[in-house]
Amino acid sequence: MSDEHRRTLVGERWDAVVIGGGHNGLVTATLLARSGARTLLLEARDQLGGLAAGEEFHPGYRRLGVADDLSQFRPWVAERLKLGSFGLELETEWAPIFSPAAAGDGDGLLLARDPRDTDGELGNDAEGYADYRDFFARLAPFARKALDRVPVDVSGLKLADLWTLGGTALALRMLGRRDMMELFRIGPMCVADWLRERFGNDRLNALLAAPAVYGGFTGPWSPGTNANLLLHECFATPGVKGGGPALITALDAAARAAGVEIRTGTRAHRLAIDGEGVKSVELADGEVLETRLVAAACSPKRLFLDLVPRELLSLRLEHGITHFRARGTTAKIHLALTDYPAFTCRPKLRPEHVRIAEGIDPLERAFDPVKYRRFGSDLALDLRVPSLRQPELAPDGHHVASIGVHFVPYDLDGGWSDESRSALLETVLQRLEVYAPEVRALVAGTEVLTPLDLETRYGLSGGQIHHGEHGLDQIFVRPTPECARYATPIDGLYVCGGGSYPGGGITGAPGALAAERILSDR
Amino acid sequence: MTYDAVIIGGGHNGLVCAAYLAKAGKKVVVLEKRHVLGGAAVTEELYPGFKFSVASYVVSLFRPGIIRDLDLPAHGLEMIPLETAYSPRLGDQGLCRWVDPERTRREIARFSVKDSEVYPEFGLAMTKMARFAKGVIDAPAPDPASLKPSELMELWRFSDELRQADPESLYMHLKLFTMSSADLLDEWFESDVLKAPMSVSGIIGTYLGVRSPGTAYVLLHHYMGEIDGAFRSWGYSKGGTGGVSMACARAAQSFGAEIRTQAPVDHVLLENGRARGVVLDNGDEVRAKTVISNCDPNLTFLGLVGEENLDPEFATAIRRYKLRGSSGKVNLAVDRLPVFPGREGSAHLRGDIAIAPGTEYLERAYDEAKYGDYSSKPYLNVVIPSVIDPSVAPPGKHVISIFVQYAPYHIKEGADRWPEKREAFGDTVVKTLAEYCPGLEESILYRQVLTPWDLEKQFGLTEGNIFQGELSLEQLLFQRPTAGWARYKTPVTNLWMCGSGTHPGGGIMGASGRLAALALLESEEL
Repeated sequence: MSDEHRRTLVGERWDAVVIGGGHNGLVTATLLARSGARTLLLEARDQLGGLAAGEEFHPGYRRLGVADDLSQFRPWVAERLKLGSFGLELETEWAPIFSPAAAGDGDGLLLARDPRDTDGELGNDAEGYADYRDFFARLAPFARKALDRVPVDVSGLKLADLWTLGGTALALRMLGRRDMMELFRIGPMCVADWLRERFGNDRLNALLAAPAVYGGFTGPWSPGTNANLLLHECFATPGVKGGGPALITALDAAARAAGVEIRTGTRAHRLAIDGEGVKSVELADGEVLETRLVAAACSPKRLFLDLVPRELLSLRLEHGITHFRARGTTAKIHLALTDYPAFTCRPKLRPEHVRIAEGIDPLERAFDPVKYRRFGSDLALDLRVPSLRQPELAPDGHHVASIGVHFVPYDLDGGWSDESRSALLETVLQRLEVYAPEVRALVAGTEVLTPLDLETRYGLSGGQIHHGEHGLDQIFVRPTPECARYATPIDGLYVCGGGSYPGGGITGAPGALAAERILSDR
Repeated sequence: MTYDAVIIGGGHNGLVCAAYLAKAGKKVVVLEKRHVLGGAAVTEELYPGFKFSVASYVVSLFRPGIIRDLDLPAHGLEMIPLETAYSPRLGDQGLCRWVDPERTRREIARFSVKDSEVYPEFGLAMTKMARFAKGVIDAPAPDPASLKPSELMELWRFSDELRQADPESLYMHLKLFTMSSADLLDEWFESDVLKAPMSVSGIIGTYLGVRSPGTAYVLLHHYMGEIDGAFRSWGYSKGGTGGVSMACARAAQSFGAEIRTQAPVDHVLLENGRARGVVLDNGDEVRAKTVISNCDPNLTFLGLVGEENLDPEFATAIRRYKLRGSSGKVNLAVDRLPVFPGREGSAHLRGDIAIAPGTEYLERAYDEAKYGDYSSKPYLNVVIPSVIDPSVAPPGKHVISIFVQYAPYHIKEGADRWPEKREAFGDTVVKTLAEYCPGLEESILYRQVLTPWDLEKQFGLTEGNIFQGELSLEQLLFQRPTAGWARYKTPVTNLWMCGSGTHPGGGIMGASGRLAALALLESEEL
């Protein structure tokens, strides 16, 4: 009898199985293992890290993760997991962001985080920008304290929940009447309106607005997007040294040190559930992993519509998950470059982080075609060149550009094919050439990941990089009311990925908060 | 002579406010700049024999409490419920929803059997939500910033009500406040033929598209309509929308209020920072203990009071208050009833007619407006009141009222260029409708085109906003028109507000006028 076969028959018993070896899955697994649970982590791909994993995409050129914005990673998660002792270093220097201008349209905008470092870039908006940063300096401590916790149970408020809510209300009140009322006013607004109240420079508006609409099915004119901006700014830090891959290396080490057994290249196929709840995880090859506790870091749609037997879902949950909005609008393009492409408006500048959107209306126009299942010619681009800080990513003097391409539909009219993929690359190159005409000649290799590719490769349902859109109704009750606090209606089954509160992006927060909930239930 | 209160603007809210104050024994005068009363709720005979509801054209949210308190039926108010909601389609007879649920089910089933079964459930769910929201529009907005015991009690009562509500309703509320109407309807229905005309109730009067978050809430308003206490009813006022205003005016007069038309106010009379009355265009002063403005917040403070007389922070808040008008109106007198191929007779015309052939159509109409053009293929909400109220047109002839979206106030050429585009805009509207009812153009005896610029000039609605301010979440409840001043009182001593720019907002509700009067009576300022 082969080893494989014996395992199928006998099975192994685990205290906990975590599905998905992205950063959230690793966080949950580590915290469970540390509390003494014998924990197994399953990752379908051959390497850990999910969207944060680094990969060689062209011979000699490595890129960082598909998700390359580490600014939302929570320092408290690093602390709780003691990631410092596993080699993680938090970045302390903010990279300025550059918004290039087309030839003849001025010299663009180089925006430093600290208003004192903006070096006269902002003109009339300098004072407004200082106010803007001041506002967040006051708001951020409140947000960090009040928001990074297991959401309260609104379906029957218990005393403890009321206490929590009361504490939040009090902290809100402590902000002072003026800031509190301002928060009520600006929270539901569209990001365009709020920024235009503050700044006259529309390039600055677009530069600040962009992260509020990235990954969403919304443009800057869509109400509610300002809440995304507020959250983004309140939790922003300079990030992690070495980006996603460094984070994953540290998490991997922490997980192994805690005793987590990690299996890559292992895809969960189905959950078996009996009268007492979760019974086991079945793999594609028939192997059965017995466990009474499963934490799923995969997207909610993948969990409930693929892994959980459909007949065990209540109609309400099935309806809720089916309609959990997860329309992908982001493509990712990586370029292997033989040199840094000069920007016409400032040929000597070599910025690490570049945002291309000339103003609020151009950003909105980039979004419009997605509603009709197309992508436009003036896509919004978010470009990073990690090889400036980490030259080892590319051959000597060469560079790697990682480009978030917004807005590109998952369900492209006519479907995704090699042709449409090339058309997308061509559109992006043409867009870059407007600002850096030599770029095409420097391209030595490319990787194009459409939203459909992101689904196929990384299991992101609908190609949605956040596991579900960050609409106001989908942040605080995420993904559905019955699963909003990490537990699900199925005993022993928990959710712990970006499809849970407080949402997608490389934060580590859902993973850590889910572990907290699981441990408090045990 | 000094009045207790002078009310600027004889729109329906000003008249309701006047009636409540007069009923309480106060000496009140209402000043209206036009020759007719009613503001945007007005009937005018623009063409001999044809009575037009020039601006506002249907009534649904008018508060039943006001009808009772002021005994409006005795003053001539008569409501006629709408019976159908018809959405024609090209090359097909389209979809008509009827009062009779079985008939509606059969119509919807032609497009989707599943939708035909879900439709009544959706109506029930929304009606349930609407009942909850009704409490909010019939009371002053809670004030979360106040630490007064009475306010805290009110907040507690409010949160307790939330606590009592079942989780399902709470979640539904969260969604209604934050989702787009298209997304919400996608959760319930599959047929775009049904979804598109339903989704438009979420965008009426807004500068948003059916895919914009936050529009689902406005859908709810559609289910809040009441006639004689029955939910979900929309109706005409017999003889035109001005009938509501006239009934309010007659009620106010019966309690002793004085009403003057053609009395345009130039500015609020201030002495030592206190409002003491108003000065008319002709220089006459009308002095009063209290001045109440039925105009929108922008016109009231930046126009009638003057920015130099305001606290700078308050002035900034008022300047930020958003009023981007997005709709226009085309009124037609026609010599015969329009014919929609595939439908005979007039039964399907006894309600509203929506030119909303698809969600994409609607979204494209919005996309054009975002960048400063009127929609080349607009959404139209058409009513032909003469079908069920023969008193508004000569026998055999009809009035057609067409509400048009989008017509942004801020066109890219500049708002003051609207007069040059007015007729082209009117042509676009008529052409769009004529596609669905061929022969319309030939039947037209008279046409009136109102652009948002016209709405501003004619009715004093700043930027042509039909709700005196956008009904976006940040401009509702305790933030309408601005935080700290949502209780009808203003920072200018003895100046109050009673228009749609205050809680609970626009539509022919009368709620603002009533709540303002009650707040003022309670304040002991009178």
